[in-house]
Amino acid sequence: MKRIYPILLAALMLPGLAFAQQTPAGTNISNQASASYIDSAGQPRTTTSNQVITVVQQVYSFSITPDGSTTTPGQTRTALAGAPVYFSYTVSNTGNGTDTINLTLAQDTGDNFDLTGTARYLDANCNGTLDSGETTPITSVTLSRQGTPGASACVIVAGTIPASATSGQFGNLNLVGTSAGSPTTTDNNNWARAIATTAAILTATKSASPSGPVTPGSTITYTISGANTGGSAASGVSVSGLTGTGILISDTIPTGLSVPAAPTGSAGAGTVQIVYSTNGGTTWSTTAPAFPFVGNGSNRVGMFISGSGAFFPQTASYTFSFQVTVPTNAPAGTSYPNTATVQYNDGTANQITTSNTTNNTAASRYSVAIGGTGASAIDGADTQTIATATSGSTVTFNSTLQNTGNAADSFTLSLGTSTLGTCTILQSDGVTPLSGPVGPLAAGATYNVVVRCTIPASQTTGGSVTLTATSVNNPSGSVGTLLDGVDATTLAVTNVVLGYSLDVAHNTNGASGGEGSDPANDTRPGYNPAVNPGGVAYFPFEVNNTGANPDTYNLTANLPAGWTALFYPDTNCDGVMDTPTPAPVSSTGLINAGTIACFIAAVQVPNGAAPVDVTAGTNDNVQFTATSTTLPSVSDTIAGAVDVNLVAQVSLTPNRSGTVTSPGTIQYTHTLTNSSNAPATCSISGSGGSFGWTYQYSLDGSTWASSLSSIAVAANGGSQVVYVRVLTPAGQPIGRTDINALTASCTIASTTATATASETTTVVGGDLRLTKSAVSYVGSSSTVRDANAAVALPGDQILYTVVAQNIGTGNLTQVVVSDPLPSYTSFVSASVSISGFSGTVLYSTNGSTWSTTAPTTLSSGQTLYVAVDTNGDNTITNADILPPGATITLSFRVQVQ
Amino acid sequence: MMKHFGWRFGTGLLCLIGLALAQASSDIRLDLKAFRVVSVQEQSRTVERLEPALDAKPGQIIQYQLTALNTFTSPLRQVALVIPIPPTTAYQAQSALPLRLGDTLVVPEFSFDGGKSYGRPPLKRKLKVVENGKEVEKEVEVKPEEYTHARWVIPQIEPQQTLTLTLRVVVR
Repeated sequence: MKRIYPILLAALMLPGLAFAQQTPAGTNISNQASASYIDSAGQPRTTTSNQVITVVQQVYSFSITPDGSTTTPGQTRTALAGAPVYFSYTVSNTGNGTDTINLTLAQDTGDNFDLTGTARYLDANCNGTLDSGETTPITSVTLSRQGTPGASACVIVAGTIPASATSGQFGNLNLVGTSAGSPTTTDNNNWARAIATTAAILTATKSASPSGPVTPGSTITYTISGANTGGSAASGVSVSGLTGTGILISDTIPTGLSVPAAPTGSAGAGTVQIVYSTNGGTTWSTTAPAFPFVGNGSNRVGMFISGSGAFFPQTASYTFSFQVTVPTNAPAGTSYPNTATVQYNDGTANQITTSNTTNNTAASRYSVAIGGTGASAIDGADTQTIATATSGSTVTFNSTLQNTGNAADSFTLSLGTSTLGTCTILQSDGVTPLSGPVGPLAAGATYNVVVRCTIPASQTTGGSVTLTATSVNNPSGSVGTLLDGVDATTLAVTNVVLGYSLDVAHNTNGASGGEGSDPANDTRPGYNPAVNPGGVAYFPFEVNNTGANPDTYNLTANLPAGWTALFYPDTNCDGVMDTPTPAPVSSTGLINAGTIACFIAAVQVPNGAAPVDVTAGTNDNVQFTATSTTLPSVSDTIAGAVDVNLVAQVSLTPNRSGTVTSPGTIQYTHTLTNSSNAPATCSISGSGGSFGWTYQYSLDGSTWASSLSSIAVAANGGSQVVYVRVLTPAGQPIGRTDINALTASCTIASTTATATASETTTVVGGDLRLTKSAVSYVGSSSTVRDANAAVALPGDQILYTVVAQNIGTGNLTQVVVSDPLPSYTSFVSASVSISGFSGTVLYSTNGSTWSTTAPTTLSSGQTLYVAVDTNGDNTITNADILPPGATITLSFRVQVQ
Repeated sequence: MMKHFGWRFGTGLLCLIGLALAQASSDIRLDLKAFRVVSVQEQSRTVERLEPALDAKPGQIIQYQLTALNTFTSPLRQVALVIPIPPTTAYQAQSALPLRLGDTLVVPEFSFDGGKSYGRPPLKRKLKVVENGKEVEKEVEVKPEEYTHARWVIPQIEPQQTLTLTLRVVVR
C-alpha cells in the first residue's frame, strides 16, 4: 500500500463561493435519486433510489469588533488619572453552531502605562454602560450559531488609568478571543487605548430600548447620555447653521429607520435646542423636518447645548433621547447599528467623543402560505379543484408553498384525512417522495409541492385532501390567520367517474372491433353451431377495455349442466383458432384502456348430451362473461346458442345358438341396448324360422308372447333383456338347424332405428346338453363387470358356469365334465352342485385319479374334471349314471392375469 | 380435464402475481452514494480522495454517485435519471459529466425550478424590470449554484446494463 503523507488533510473548499448563511451544524443533507422510464409494456414508470444522508458538521468562526492595533486602536477613552475607563466590544459567532468564546486581556509593552484592575463584563442590554446587575466579571461568552438570536454579545472591558499617569500618556489594552470548540480559532486584533488627561472630558453612552432583536413595525428608543468627567469645565464649538457656540450631540439615523417625532433632551448647564441636519452634519437647523424623518445616511438628529466660554462644569450631565420605527417589511436579521458623537472644546482643542454602538436587529417573523400554483402562494383557506377524474387513476396537484416570513425557514408538509385514496407528497420534480421538512427557504421564496393521489378503483364520488404547511420555527397558528406559522390548501376532485368498464362482443366480422354497439352485440342471431354429443362449438368474441385504466379480466362461462368451456386467445382476431392451437386461458391478461383483445370460446358438449334445438338471440343456452379483476362489479356477458344433434342408435346382442331335442325346448336371452341420446320405444318380433317351430318372446322370462311392443329403453346405454323360447315339435330330424331372425324396431324422438339378432337352434339326439356361461366381476368383488364376461380387466375374476343336463329319456353313464383353465388366467376355485339325482361329486386333474375335494391349484393349460360317483366306489366308471333331467353344474372361478 | 383446468388457472394466477410484483418493485435498481472530496498531499502532489460522506462541513464538496442497473430482461426506453441537488448545497459547475454510451453522448440537463423544467446550461430566467419607466422582461442567466436537479435522459438501457453518473455539490 502506498503511504499517504497526511501533511495536509483538508477538505477541498471553493474559494469564490460565499454563502450568506452557513447551514446549521447537525443539519441532515438528504438526497434521493429517481428514474422515470418506459417499460417493456410501454407503460411509463418511475422508481427512486436509496436515500443518502450527510450530516453537516460544525465550523468554528467568530469575530470581535471593533478591530484595532497598538498604533491605530479601535476605540479610545480619555479620563483623569486614577479614573476608570470602559471599552465596548461586540463578540459575534459567525460559525454554524453554538460555541463558547474564551476572553482574555493583553497589555501593550510599547505604551506609557498598563491599566490596572482590568476586568470583562457582559453588557446584557448593550448600552455601553456597566449597569447594576452587570458587574460580575466574565471570562467567556457562549453564543448560538450565526443568524440566530444570541449569536452575538456585548462585552465591556474595564480598567483604571494609574494615578501616576500624566496628561497625554496612554496605555493600550487588547481583548483576545479564543474559540473553545477550536482553540486555533482566535481574534486578537482588538486593541483599545486609554489616555490620561486633566482637560474637560465629555462622555457619551448610547442605549437602545429594547436592545437586540426588535419586531418589524415596532419602535426603538435611543438615549444618549453623558457627563463632564474631566478635570475642568468644557466649552462649546461653532456649528454651521446654529447661533453661538455649544456642545453638539449628533446621531445619524440608521438607514431605513424613521424618526416619528421630535427628539427630547436636557442638560445640566447651557441652553438646549433640538437640531436637524439633512446633509450628513455639514449644516444644522433648529427647524423640524416633516416627520417621519427617515434615515438615509445623511439625515441626522441632534441636541445643541449652547453657552459661552467654559460653561459646562465638571460633573454636569446631559441626556438626549429620540425614537425610531423599524419598517414592517424589514428582513430578519437586518442590522441597525447606531453611534452618537459629542463635539465640544476641552479648553484647548475641539474634541469628538464617539459613543458605544448599539446594534438592533430585525427579529424573525416565521410565517407560511400554501395554495395556488402561481409565483406566490395564497395565504388562508383555499381550494384547488379538478373537475373530473376517473377511478383507479392518479391525480396530481401542484401547490405553491411560500415563506411569507422575513427569515429563512423550513416547513413541514402533511396531509389530512384523504377521501381521494392514498395520497403522497412529492418534491417539485413530481417523482421524488418528500422526506422531512422543505427548506430552508429564503424569506419570500416559493417551493412547488406536488401531491399525488391514487383514486380507489371503486370510488365514484368526489373527494378531497388537505395539505398543511407548518413552519418549523413557529409551528403554532391557524389556517384562517394570515402571516402565521400554519396554512393549508384543500385539494379536491369534484366528480370521480368510474374508470373501469368493458364491452364483450361476438366477433362477427373476423376482425378486431367494428361490432355493433353494446348491448346489441351481446347476442349473435343466425349463428348457432350444431354438434353431436361429445362435439365442440366455437364462439369467437372480443373484449374491449372501454375504461380509463389498464385492466385484466377473468373469463367464465355459464353453460348447461355437464358442459364445459375453454377460452383460447385469438391473436390475429380473425375468429379462427390459431395454429398451433394456443394454450387455453382463464383470464385475458392485461388489456390497455381503449384496446381490444380477441378470444375464442370452445364449448365442449359432453357425450350423451340430450338433443337441443335453440334459436340464437331468442333462447340462447350458453353465456360467456368477462369480469374485471380490479373491480369485480364490472363485467359484461354475451350469449350464444348451441344445437345438439339427435343421434339414434340401438343394438340387440348377442346372436345365440343352441341344441335341442325333438321334441324339446330351449331358451335364449338377448340384450336390447339404446345408445341414442334420447329414450327409445321399441317393439320386438321374430321371423319364426323356416320349419314352423314355435318362437315366443318375453321381457321377464315368465310371460310369453308372440311379439313384444312398447318397450321403453332409457337413453345413453339403457338396456332391456329379451327372452326367446324355442319349442321344437316331435319328429324333427337330428341335425336340422333353424334360424330365427329377431328384429327390434325403435322410435327415438323424431326418428327410428332398428337392430337385429338371431337364434340358431340345432336338433340333437336326446342325450347330454352342455351349456357354458360366464360373468366377469370387478376384481374379487361381487360387482359385475360384465354379465356376459365380454369385458374383463387384469385382476378381474371370471365365474364360468358349465351345466350338463341329461335331456334324453334314458340314463347316461360315466358323465365327466371337463373344463381347461383359460390362458392368461389363474385358478381361484371350483365347486359343483347336482340336481335330479344323488351321488358323490369327485374331482380330477387328469381324468383318471379322482378325489372328493376340489383342487386348490391348477397350472396353466391344465384341465379340471368333475363327475358324480353314484355307485359309491369312489371312482368314475360306466356304472355311474346320470338319470334323465338330472344336471351337474360346475362353477369355475378364475382371475385374469 | 379438471386437473388441467386447475393448472391453467394456477399459471394465470402466477402471472398476475408476477405482474403485481413487477409494478411494486422496480425494473431499475438505483443506488446513490455520497462521498466527501478531500485533497491529500502525497509526495509533493495534491491528490483527491473520496471518503464516505457521513458528515461534511459548510464549504466542503460532496460527490454524489448514482448507479443505475436495468434488472429487467428487456431494454428500457427513455430513462430519465435524476440526481437532486439538496437545498443546503450548491451545484459545482461542470461537475456533472456527460455519459458516453456507444456512439451516443448523453449530456446532463439541469433544472432550477425544482425539477419542473430542464435545460442545458446556460439556463435563463425571465425577470420583469423597470427600465426608463417601462416594465420590460429580461433574461438573466441562472447561476449553477441555483440549480435544483440534474438529469440524464438515456434513450435505451439494455438488460443488465449498469450506468454510473456523478456530480458534485458544495455544502452551503
